Amino acid sequence: MSENPLIRLVDVTKVYHLESGDFTALNHVSLDIMENEFVAIMGPSGSGKSTMMNQLGILDVPTSGELFIDGKNVALMTQLERTHMRRDTIGYVFQKFYLIPLLSAYENVEYPLILRYKHRDATGKAADVLKSVGFDKEMSSHRPNQLSGGQQQRVAIARALVNDPKIILCDEPTGNLDRKTGLQIMDLLVGLHQRGKTVILVTHDAKIAEYAHRTIELDDGRVVGS
Amino acid sequence: MRDIFFDLSVRSVRLNFMRSLLASIGIVIGVVAISSMGMLGANMQLSVKQQLSSDVNTVMISSDVVRTTSNAGTPSTSEGVTKSQLNDIKNAAGTNVVIPIHRTNTQFTIGSTDGRGSIYGFDPNDIEKFLTLDVGDIPRGANDAVVGSNLATNFNLVVGTRIKIGPPNTADRPTIRVSGILPARGFASDGINTDNAIIVGDTWYTNQYGDKDVYNQVNVIVKNVDTISAVETAIDDKVNRKTQVIRISDASSRLTSITQTLGTITTFILAIGGISLVVAAVSIFNVMMMSVNERVHEIGILLSIGTEKGEVRRMFLYEAFILGIIGAGVGGICSLVIGYSVVSAMIGNTTYFFLPDSILYVPEGMLIGIVVCIVSGVYPAWKASNMDPIDALRSE
Repeated sequence: MSENPLIRLVDVTKVYHLESGDFTALNHVSLDIMENEFVAIMGPSGSGKSTMMNQLGILDVPTSGELFIDGKNVALMTQLERTHMRRDTIGYVFQKFYLIPLLSAYENVEYPLILRYKHRDATGKAADVLKSVGFDKEMSSHRPNQLSGGQQQRVAIARALVNDPKIILCDEPTGNLDRKTGLQIMDLLVGLHQRGKTVILVTHDAKIAEYAHRTIELDDGRVVGS
Repeated sequence: MRDIFFDLSVRSVRLNFMRSLLASIGIVIGVVAISSMGMLGANMQLSVKQQLSSDVNTVMISSDVVRTTSNAGTPSTSEGVTKSQLNDIKNAAGTNVVIPIHRTNTQFTIGSTDGRGSIYGFDPNDIEKFLTLDVGDIPRGANDAVVGSNLATNFNLVVGTRIKIGPPNTADRPTIRVSGILPARGFASDGINTDNAIIVGDTWYTNQYGDKDVYNQVNVIVKNVDTISAVETAIDDKVNRKTQVIRISDASSRLTSITQTLGTITTFILAIGGISLVVAAVSIFNVMMMSVNERVHEIGILLSIGTEKGEVRRMFLYEAFILGIIGAGVGGICSLVIGYSVVSAMIGNTTYFFLPDSILYVPEGMLIGIVVCIVSGVYPAWKASNMDPIDALRSE
């Protein structure tokens, strides 16, 4: 393995301060994820998978310990730097797609490009990426609520890819899809990994986890298998 | 190509069209209130200014009401301009026309009807120097008098009508004869309000009321209005050289005073109009908060995929701006129609409506409406941009 992992967690702990008392969602987790790995994170409900995703997606910061993404210590970054890293380095694929309801399929894919370059896409990249995930061009102008689950997930994957991020974070990407569509989506993710992306997949489905080259098992906030 | 955040805002407004429309109606009402009231005030000022400015060539001189004697310690009053002061005024005024004026209030009886009004005493030859008659002639005989238009209308006076002067039930009341009737003069800036007055010769007046060599007011009609300040200074230097014994004013200062008063009234009614904008601001704030609360999940998506806080803020401020633009645009058009109607109905004259002093209230009202909307959107936009993306995503 390379000495410089793309993602490194060093003794990361995340504690939520609840009215009922402190709840430790991640408990002294240390692990490395190398560039171009395909990793599945598995665990029962409440094991800390979502908290781990939030940490890896820098939507949250550890209570203690250190998290390095692409060599940068997340805790030392400003909020704006973290926002830019979410925009440029990480692509998110959510279980419920989370497309922007007021934008068309094409605009949803174009949106991260606009965030990055501060102007509408005139290069055709958004359309190319949509095409690359097998999305029907004629559906580009449709709003998310006019698309099927599979179509929405393809749009979500295109959106995640359009800024050419190093990391693709997928949270139960097939959870809301029928089996056939789910397998198509997994084929897409495998293709992305083959094109050099680091794919991190959170799932509780062992069949889906089989697509990954490494499975990290969480239980009660701890890594119990890797 | 348009900003995508602007597009998102436009679509959000369209999606909640009815709610947005109702919120904008608040702004429409506010803009109309401010603009129409402002235009009404401006037209009032312009109209009064125009009416009064024809008399700005008149200097009005009256006695300082109270003077304190230097030796006895008790105040003695001087209620008029004395003969010697009048001579000094004449000397200082040079070739300009000087008109000494007697004035008091009186009761009178016409036929069997009693009335009350002002009575002026002029040298009959002075009357034509600043008044024109509608009917009849200036007083020629000792008992002749000229009456104002309102008095003539209210009491059906014609040339030849006789008027008994003094309180009813008084024995041996003097009688005057109407020799002429004046046209309506309105609120005269030279201090001589004739519409409800009787004007008699100075001899008749002083025979009845005394004070032969004391005048209530002296007017100086300046031939060249540009010299009015110089004439006032000359009179002041001459008559007030030792102590302040007379007060000198002119129509321009009165005009300023009246327009200032009207300006204050305009500001007051603008403030009342402004209250409706405050109500509109609350309505816009409410709509914006609803918009933020309904879009929490969407805000979570935007923040999680790398939208900057400032961009989220901008999106909601655009939305407030759009509501403002709609409200201000419709409000501006309505203001022109309603403002014109109000000015026409209340002033009866729309000559000044399209002058900059008046019409500028429309863009000003619109601008205030837009600013109010944007200010109302600041807190909701701030709230949206500072959401925690994880909490926002969970909010489904």
